[in-house]
Amino acid sequence: MRPENYQAVNHPPSNEYELNFGPNHPGIEGNYAFKVKLNGDRVLEARADGGYLHRGFEKLMEGRLWIQNIALVPRICVPDPVPMEVCYALAIEELCGLEVPERAQWIRVMQLEMSRVAAHLFAFGGHAATTGMYTPMFWGIADRDLILDRFEELTGGRVYHIYNIPGGVRRDLPEGYLGRLSGLLDYLESRLPDYDNLFFTNQVFVRRARDVGTMTQAQALKWGVTGPNLRATGLALDVRRDDPYLVYGRLEFDVPTEAGGDALARNLVRRSELQQSIHILRQVIDRLPEIDGPIRCPIPNPLAWNVPAGEAYTRVESSKGELAYYVVSTGGGKPYRVHVRGPSSMHAVQVLERLAVGSRLEDIAQIMFSLDACPPEVDR
Amino acid sequence: MDKNLNVWLDNLLQEIEGIKFRRKSTRRVRIDVAMDALPTLLELLQGRASYVHLSAITCVDWPDDGEFELVYHVWSYETQSLVSAHTRIPRDPGVYLSIYDLYEPAAFFERDIHEMFGVFFEGSPDMEKFILTEWDGPPPMRKEFDSEAFVNQQFEWQPYHPDWLKELEEEGGGVTTRPEDIRW
Repeated sequence: MRPENYQAVNHPPSNEYELNFGPNHPGIEGNYAFKVKLNGDRVLEARADGGYLHRGFEKLMEGRLWIQNIALVPRICVPDPVPMEVCYALAIEELCGLEVPERAQWIRVMQLEMSRVAAHLFAFGGHAATTGMYTPMFWGIADRDLILDRFEELTGGRVYHIYNIPGGVRRDLPEGYLGRLSGLLDYLESRLPDYDNLFFTNQVFVRRARDVGTMTQAQALKWGVTGPNLRATGLALDVRRDDPYLVYGRLEFDVPTEAGGDALARNLVRRSELQQSIHILRQVIDRLPEIDGPIRCPIPNPLAWNVPAGEAYTRVESSKGELAYYVVSTGGGKPYRVHVRGPSSMHAVQVLERLAVGSRLEDIAQIMFSLDACPPEVDR
Repeated sequence: MDKNLNVWLDNLLQEIEGIKFRRKSTRRVRIDVAMDALPTLLELLQGRASYVHLSAITCVDWPDDGEFELVYHVWSYETQSLVSAHTRIPRDPGVYLSIYDLYEPAAFFERDIHEMFGVFFEGSPDMEKFILTEWDGPPPMRKEFDSEAFVNQQFEWQPYHPDWLKELEEEGGGVTTRPEDIRW
């Protein structure tokens, strides 16, 4: 504005003001907004304002065939699409009473863990960017891209794979795939010390993230927090272990925890989970060649598939927390009702609104990334 | 785990009349309960049987019955099992009680159901619009709302000329990774 156009406004005598934070903001994952009430740079009140990514998936799915919806579900959460496909497929399998062949179950676990690694790389890269460190972000996204290469080779799609169909998976592994995946894991493991030096033990990050957005164990349970955010308060709770699905009951892995409950602890939990996911993937690479058999069970003609009437509630541990699908069928060719419970519907709305109070304006983005809140999952 | 489940189920049966429960699998229990008794049931589940985590509240529309079905999914970290409590409320006027006092996550789900189905929850802290801020039509997730008819009424169909697609197909399809580009 030119100085001659400036007109002084008579403000009421107060230091408080309101600020629209988002919906297009580099410190926010996806399009999402906050209305923040501030005194100086201290947040007095924050109100989440969503809906910018609402695409009406739950309504769309009621109008499409069971099998067509496989192409819709991964779009609900962009950085971590595989749990969406698997969770939806598990629900249909439960309704139809389908037995997924063992080989397909192992392939699904492999993808779930690959997707978790990719999503965690994305998450801490994003967090680094909000604290002004762009190099970890570029590294994280570059390494995530290598995982997307493996997804592309397996499924034909980099981000949206549309690979897990009810009854199994679409096709078997390409020749020599596990060897290339193993090479990728070696590379990722060799990168972990670099990430530690650059980011996780870097004082620029540690001092910035410590005591930011702190929640206690009791608060986390009360607010419905799940996943790495809950584990950062010291509770070793994980859907993979408490409510095992696929072959997770036969895999060895730790559920890492931290005691702090702040943004630092949440990132350190994700860092440990990277290691655990690599550990799980190595077990899959060891076991998968021994397991022969079909990659999916016989299913009816997908274009004329009437799923028996009933309802199913399936839960999966996504990279962000507890993901659940509630699917109701009335015996028709299309779902009667599908409800998606994304973990971020808690984290991005109520939890964030509460954690932001008392923090500073520049920490809101940091808190959001440390919670790994995913707006497309909230808006659906 | 099984022992715990049976103990609290017996207790529940004594305290609430007209309750039906079905064990769907080792970790899934379905309970059908009248709308008046649901808050009591949830209070018991939370207070006595350690179902402290509200996983979700789902609304299902049954226009032929003139009812909304509300499903409360609660998870117990101790017994590691999920109870889905089903209740039905009349579609008109579509008003029910909030369970925010018991489970704080309910606020989000109740707000969502109010927006998408038009069910009002008395006592919920926030019934403001969240997703459909500029929408003043009927609640879109109700079965009578036809999204295809709405689209036809709102927008005009555009003819589709996939010339660019023909060119791509002549060159041999979309983008593929060549074997020499694979690093491992």
